[in-house]
Amino acid sequence: MPAVLSEPVSSDFPTTVNTSTDGRPDFISIQNFSFFYGAKQALFDISMDIPERQVTAFIGPSGCGKSTLLRNLNRMNELIDGIRHTGDIVIHGHSIYDPLIEVISLRKRVGMVFQKSNPFPKSIYENVVYPLRVAGQKTKTILDETVERSLKGAALWDEVKDRLHESALSLSGGQMQRLCIARAIANRPEILLMDEPCSALDPVATVKVEELIQELKSQFTIVIVTHNMQQATRCSDKTAFFYLGRLVEFADTQKIFANPSNKQTEDYITGRFG
Amino acid sequence: MESTRHILTSFESALDNLRQDVLLMSSLAIRSLENAKAGLLERDEDKCNTVIADDGEIDDLEIRVDSEGIEIMLRFHPFASDLRNVIAAMKTSVNLERAADQCVGIARRVRKLLLHEQIPETLRIEPIFQMAASLFHDAIQAYAESDIELASTIKARDKELDVLNREFADALTDLMPQNAGHIRAFIELIFIARSLERIGDQAKNIAEDTIYAVTVKDVRHTLKS
Repeated sequence: MPAVLSEPVSSDFPTTVNTSTDGRPDFISIQNFSFFYGAKQALFDISMDIPERQVTAFIGPSGCGKSTLLRNLNRMNELIDGIRHTGDIVIHGHSIYDPLIEVISLRKRVGMVFQKSNPFPKSIYENVVYPLRVAGQKTKTILDETVERSLKGAALWDEVKDRLHESALSLSGGQMQRLCIARAIANRPEILLMDEPCSALDPVATVKVEELIQELKSQFTIVIVTHNMQQATRCSDKTAFFYLGRLVEFADTQKIFANPSNKQTEDYITGRFG
Repeated sequence: MESTRHILTSFESALDNLRQDVLLMSSLAIRSLENAKAGLLERDEDKCNTVIADDGEIDDLEIRVDSEGIEIMLRFHPFASDLRNVIAAMKTSVNLERAADQCVGIARRVRKLLLHEQIPETLRIEPIFQMAASLFHDAIQAYAESDIELASTIKARDKELDVLNREFADALTDLMPQNAGHIRAFIELIFIARSLERIGDQAKNIAEDTIYAVTVKDVRHTLKS
């Protein structure tokens, strides 16, 4: 079994974190990937390499396929009936469609944060440790350490450390989203997928989440879908522009927003269509 | 030049207004240079006074262009070519205002010269006026039409203007020992030529900013033209 992505569901608590300073430029390699919802083709022959420990933004008008592609990176789309794909997605040298891959294990390695924060109706503490409990972890010291590490990593510890056993639903919108990020990083994933994580947040909460993203990228490879182009310029190192299911341009964020090569990209980011 | 309009009509209007104000400044600055030249060569003091009076309007336009540019950046967060065009407009207005100030300087010196009889050497400055005016006009045209081919010619022509200015100053300086009664006039003419050389520099700056706005190439401070 490929060691990185395949683990039994009830494995020991993972302790490996990629701390090497050299990021692979093709950490996530999307290779001639097409995707279909039944008869309707949503993605057309996408090929791109997403670098390790950087923030990559997916931008484009509504319906362009950016969220569809994001959800394919951890095979979340398989929850929908009638889907199929061609091509491949390779993470850290291993195809995520390898029959030996357990999709649950994949999703431990490729965490996801959604547009609308979705804390469980449990305490703050239980929300963070939930993935570990599902994996069979029962040791209190490990659970406590995970809670503190994850909440600190999500820049939420100081705000909640004295009320960990209060309901997560008592938190503000921005705090809930950061709690969801803490939950996502509790299992030490390699990749974080974020689907418009700030669109439901006020400006102050948005700034806090954006700052958090900058801190997290030293440990995780982050892919973020956003409709907010200013956010893409603030947060991301690389930006991919999609239109009608196709990848139009993928380059350093500064290049995309200062001097895009493709006229369609320029027309979109300057507001001439979209 | 963009072939499609922005979806946000207020953004399109703001960009149009900014551009129109810069072009208005350009027209006024060109007119000031023409009036300064006419004031000297036709000995017309009224033309000189017009140059000085018009400068206030050009100064006001510079302030307005800056304000409009900043508002566009705050409200609309322009990217790519829009951002470059806004920055080019703001920088061009600075260069136009400085060129207009040079015209005011020329007009003030011409008024001093008009207090005395015209000296033959006055006509020797006409080619410098012609070259500076042509350079300035073409730089503005290059900006207005995003014509990088025309903009690319400005730098070399500015160097020719620099040479003309130096030769003129040297020639008048050489004449001074034999023309003691005209030394003041010679000095005024030398300073006028120097102002024209400065106008050439402003034209070069406008051309360089135009090239950057269109091509993203920064050609400032390069050795070759």
